[in-house]
Amino acid sequence: MIKQKNRLWFFFLAAVLFLAACGSGGDSGNGSGGEAAADDGEPKVLRVANGADPVTFDIQQTNDQATTRIAKQIYDTLIVQTNDLELVPGLATEWEEVEENLYEFKLREDVTFHNGEPFTADDVAFTLKRAVESPTIGHIVDSIDPDSIEVIDDHTIRVGTSDTFGPFLTHLAHPAVGILNEKAVEEAGDDYGVSVVVGTGPFEFEEWVTGTHVTTNRYEDYWGDAPEIDRIEFNTIADPSVRLIELESGAVDIAYDIAPSDIPAVEENSELTLINTPNLGAEYLGLSLHNDTPLRDVKVRQAIAHAVDVEAIIDTVYMGVGDQMSGPINELVFGFNDDLEPIEYDVDKAKDLLAEAGYPDGGFSLSLYVGDNSQERIRVSQVVSEALAEIGITVEVQQMEWGAFLDSAAVGEPDMFLLGWTTVTTDADYGLYPLFHSNSFGEAGNRTFYENERVDELLDAGRYSTDQDQRLEDYREVQEIIHEEVPWVFLQTRENVTGLSNRVHGFEHHPTGSYDLSVVTLDAE
Amino acid sequence: MLLTSKKKINQAEEEMMNVPRGSWAEIWYELKRNRRAMFGLFFILFLTLTAIFADQIAPYGMREQNLSNALQFPNATHWLGTDDLGRDILSRMIYGTRVSLTVGVSAVAVSLITGGILGVVAGYYKGWIDTLIMRFCDILLSIPSILLAIAIVASLGSSLRNLIIAIGISNIPVFARIIRSGVISVKEQEFIEASQALGANDIRIIFKHILPNILSPIIVQSSMGIATAILSAVGLGFIGLGLEASIAEWGTMLNAGRGYIRTHYYLTLYPGLLIMLTVLSFNLLGDGLRDAIDPKMRER
Amino acid sequence: MFRYIVKRILWLIPILLGVSFIVFTIMYLSPGDPVTMILGEGASEEAYQALRTEMGFDQSFIVQFLNYVRGVVFEFDLGRSYVSNRVVLDEILVRLPNTIRLASWSILFATLIGIPLGVISATRPYSKVDNVVMFISLVGVSMPTFWQALLLIILFTSTLGWLPASGFTSWQQMIMPVFALATSSMGTIARITRSSMMDVLDQDYIRTSEAKGVSDRRVIFQHALRNALIPVVTVIGLQFGALLGGAVLTETIFSINGLGTMMVNAIRTRDTMVVQGGVLFIAFIFTLVNLCVDILYAYIDPRIRSQYD
Repeated sequence: MIKQKNRLWFFFLAAVLFLAACGSGGDSGNGSGGEAAADDGEPKVLRVANGADPVTFDIQQTNDQATTRIAKQIYDTLIVQTNDLELVPGLATEWEEVEENLYEFKLREDVTFHNGEPFTADDVAFTLKRAVESPTIGHIVDSIDPDSIEVIDDHTIRVGTSDTFGPFLTHLAHPAVGILNEKAVEEAGDDYGVSVVVGTGPFEFEEWVTGTHVTTNRYEDYWGDAPEIDRIEFNTIADPSVRLIELESGAVDIAYDIAPSDIPAVEENSELTLINTPNLGAEYLGLSLHNDTPLRDVKVRQAIAHAVDVEAIIDTVYMGVGDQMSGPINELVFGFNDDLEPIEYDVDKAKDLLAEAGYPDGGFSLSLYVGDNSQERIRVSQVVSEALAEIGITVEVQQMEWGAFLDSAAVGEPDMFLLGWTTVTTDADYGLYPLFHSNSFGEAGNRTFYENERVDELLDAGRYSTDQDQRLEDYREVQEIIHEEVPWVFLQTRENVTGLSNRVHGFEHHPTGSYDLSVVTLDAE
Repeated sequence: MLLTSKKKINQAEEEMMNVPRGSWAEIWYELKRNRRAMFGLFFILFLTLTAIFADQIAPYGMREQNLSNALQFPNATHWLGTDDLGRDILSRMIYGTRVSLTVGVSAVAVSLITGGILGVVAGYYKGWIDTLIMRFCDILLSIPSILLAIAIVASLGSSLRNLIIAIGISNIPVFARIIRSGVISVKEQEFIEASQALGANDIRIIFKHILPNILSPIIVQSSMGIATAILSAVGLGFIGLGLEASIAEWGTMLNAGRGYIRTHYYLTLYPGLLIMLTVLSFNLLGDGLRDAIDPKMRER
Repeated sequence: MFRYIVKRILWLIPILLGVSFIVFTIMYLSPGDPVTMILGEGASEEAYQALRTEMGFDQSFIVQFLNYVRGVVFEFDLGRSYVSNRVVLDEILVRLPNTIRLASWSILFATLIGIPLGVISATRPYSKVDNVVMFISLVGVSMPTFWQALLLIILFTSTLGWLPASGFTSWQQMIMPVFALATSSMGTIARITRSSMMDVLDQDYIRTSEAKGVSDRRVIFQHALRNALIPVVTVIGLQFGALLGGAVLTETIFSINGLGTMMVNAIRTRDTMVVQGGVLFIAFIFTLVNLCVDILYAYIDPRIRSQYD
């Protein structure tokens, strides 16, 4: 009997030792690599806290910000959009429209890919043709007619569009249209974008440990100005408050997307700097015309717009980040109408309008859907529901999982919903066409099912014209109509908010939210 | 799976079942002497009354916002402070007892009824149906219950009903097993055979003779089960899969306060404390009941 | 014995099939179309249909499930993530060590603290010490893991600045997650140890030893503890499963790149393949740990062994 029991002890001890070995084994195996050092002195490593793990570095298979923020350091585009939204040469040195809807690009001759291959027009042709077919980013370049792409010589290429498309060049500056190396993509097959990533940018891909970090090293043969930092580590830290805590403790130098509630903490910290600048995003409360509700009456929609105190939302929920919008696009976007005024908060007027519409004390109820991935939007949903209760409208808030939310909004299920839109291309076409054209019902972006013949006509005209003055005029009129008919309650502009350690210099925001880190310099620790 | 470990547990359960059951009065007498259990009981009663009379007790409405009064530290008008939308924390905690108690009790009811039927059928009829049910329980048990609940809520969408279903389902196997072993031990006793010989039908035997005899372990497990269910619900709320945020629920409150954790500690501190006290109370009561029911413990 | 082990290992197959089926069904019934989520906004109808066919979503539920099982069984292929197109097995293997380390250290910690606490209580039943220890254990069981984690972060990171709040590489990073996760198991183990010890102390042979005048300490440690530990080992095995589940919340709070965070994200993005693979792995580990516990049992206890020989 005793002997048997000794065996138990033996097993117990063995199990303990095994666990200990497991633990320590994994521990040493996971030590972060400090081996990528420059020969002279300490390498300068920039540590960045990114809010999500990248999806894939095959940039034609994704269009998410976490990926783009890293990919921008690895890939170059033909044309670069500066932080001031100007278009300047990138891999293309010059371009011109040689015939109607046919552009010729001259390419840089001194560029090599990270795998040593020279950069040629064939890579550009490969990239663009592959991009057009991509289900994920195809819509960004769908104006390109793939059959028209013609390689003239190693460093000259012609690209045609199937129709006149106003913002064509801007779309080529989209980070998703970074130039790929044909050979690298073909050879790597399914591994491309995961373990094999080849671009021409200032930093080359080193490794990606899913869910933890991505590291990139300075590419010594970069064609542009050599970055000062040797290496960038992008750490995935999903929780915004943890990103801040890590910034405060010095574990990272840059923390992206500081939560509004954390802004004061960064501002009050003398070792940190907060940068917030407006981006191309807009937040809105969609008032759907899909269901047979009082919302189909324009007066009811106007009443709702007057009942919501947008300033208070900005102050309490967003801690003062963002400005109240006067229309569907913000002032950074080409085509912005600066004559419109924000709709003012006026409960009495809201009540009057409701009465005019035949609902003197409200007395009806509406559903409001919100995705569960944004704490801020969830809060806004609660503010809106209280505000509408004030004018007698009962709001049933449905908080849904993000994917399910997008699906149900796309089929017009909610009466009202909270959503945002980022005009990444900086052109009103992208900021209005998908959202208000009757061609774009549902999935494509028009989730309010708003329809207006004049708006359709103007949006078509703007899309298929290159006369920028005429386009500007068309878009101004669209905004006036939408301002009057309020399929949206315009909430606030979004801002990019980044926290920096004071060691970091030269970091600047880009309105699209993808920042160029090659210009950043670092003080010694 | 887990054949022998399960056996061990079953043995323990069976032991518990076999001891002669004291009368309810005796149990109550024992329970009254257990101060910790009485604390638990009184706190649960207190919470129940709070939940029922929330409208009368709460100083402010559940949804009542005052945006200009947001994020106030505890003070004379708002004893536990206000949240990011200027809602009174104390009031929301009071209303939150409704949700947590409802979810806890209803989820246990779901587990108990479903698990009870499965357990009784398995234990009473044995044979292939027993094997089938128990293997099904093994399968459910090898998925961590919180993951199962997350998946079910994500799939059904978040509402009070779905929360109850998700948590209820993930705890079915626990109840099924306990009730099955209870049924088996009672069924072997002579009086059951006697009734069978007298031609009583199965349903009658189960309700008349078996269930009353396994009531005490069910009560103990239910009390503990409510504690677990409340913790699960709060956990789901915390990762944002709970109820819509304007409904006061403790887990959702913690989730909303998480962003302010460094500057406004009270947003997470007080709801968390209340959760802990509530769960503790159900556990204390469960412990006390078990000790009171088990005469072996009473001898000492 | 050998036959017993083989039999038990064979049982793994229906269990894992059942787990697969349940998870597959839940994910299948979920709203939110993975194709839409992959394509994002503004995709064309043709692209949608093409991808739908390519991913096999136009097939019936049963066909989809059978295809999945066939891949797993014959090619050990858990598929690719809908979202990132990465191989699910790789995704899991990258994260598995973190989750295993978190759960293992926690169970080790819980055991090393929980058993002595239980023993202390059992040797002085109904004393002040016992009351205090048992109350603390029960508080540990009653405290929401994530709330405790938040309190730890407030104290050790924000206020004292001693420990980092994210990651899981250095020992400093491991302290808070392990402690937060272990507390509840520690309480459970202490409680079980106590009651098991008290049962054993009640048995005749212990009383006999006492009567013989063997000193208290020796009695307790040599006879009682050995016997008392048997049920405790079972509970530790079961707690390991609970810890794998608890790791879900702990990993989320401390930004640990483990199976838990992976699966919560995957459930949210409807990434069925990743959810499937993750749950299968966790179920597999859990059943394997319990198998080990049972084999250990059968090895020690001849009565159990004889049932299977």
